Amino acid sequence: MSKKPSNLKNIDRLIHEPTRLMIMTQLYVVESADFLFLQHQLQMTPGNLSSHLSKLEEAGYVEIVKEFIERKPHTALELTKKGRNAFREYQQNLKQVFSDLPK
Amino acid sequence: MMKKTNLREVEKRTYMSYHQDGLIDIFVGIYVLLFGLGILLMTVTDFSTWFVIPAIFPAIMIPIWISAKKRITMPRIGYVKFGSRGANKLMAVLVGLMVFGLGTFMVFSFSSSQGWALSLRNLIISNGMIIIGVAAASISSLFAYTMGLKRLYAYGLLTLVLFLTGHFITIPFGYFLVTIGLVIVINGFVLLIRFIRKYPLPQGDEANVEKTF
Repeated sequence: MSKKPSNLKNIDRLIHEPTRLMIMTQLYVVESADFLFLQHQLQMTPGNLSSHLSKLEEAGYVEIVKEFIERKPHTALELTKKGRNAFREYQQNLKQVFSDLPK
Repeated sequence: MMKKTNLREVEKRTYMSYHQDGLIDIFVGIYVLLFGLGILLMTVTDFSTWFVIPAIFPAIMIPIWISAKKRITMPRIGYVKFGSRGANKLMAVLVGLMVFGLGTFMVFSFSSSQGWALSLRNLIISNGMIIIGVAAASISSLFAYTMGLKRLYAYGLLTLVLFLTGHFITIPFGYFLVTIGLVIVINGFVLLIRFIRKYPLPQGDEANVEKTF
């Protein structure tokens, strides 16, 4: 009983929120993606996606990369090194929480 | 939740969604179709055009495919850059196929001097349609597995069935390739039309979301 709260404390609440978890998962499996791609993949409204991305950007988990594709400006989103590490840590901590549960 | 966060599944789904436009099918289908037509043309005109078609086709069509991807797919579902893991897997498959091709070439090269190679060559020639069908189906399945595109299994099965039929029925080889190519091209266009209907071009405010973000 004493183990459980301490393990749960390690869970990153910023990532644990379901929508942000979906965004982090999606960005984790690719190198980068743009706003429209994420919107279609996650079936989210632009406003909702934008607000969650801003929170992840503030935390330093997501980076907005401005680039040019065929001379046209393009905004790509990618996980930062910190974001990737945080996601891996979140995965391990979550696994730990479940493995610590009594069977 | 656990199902949703299965990373491999998410990766596969992402890859599949990027190829649901049918463009890859259209271009591969045209390639097979032209190859088949080239062989048929060769039997009629006695001109080795079929060597030219496979050689020049990728050089012409790959830039067109990339351009089509940028004009049709990207404005509708957005842009994604995949990591090097998928590309490495695909490269491993291609290297494997090249080794297999080299092995087959060696069998044919040694067939004049080596007894075992000669008998293997004769076996390949007498069961050509079955062997080509099995090889094509295996290659298609390998790509289906590597790329996560399930419809490639169906193309492989179609190739296998047609070529097995071809072992028993005497029809020029080119017709089989033309049939397979046509099926793949038609399916590609069906997928493309479905894709364009499902993902219309973003209009007005929706198109400007990225700029405001």
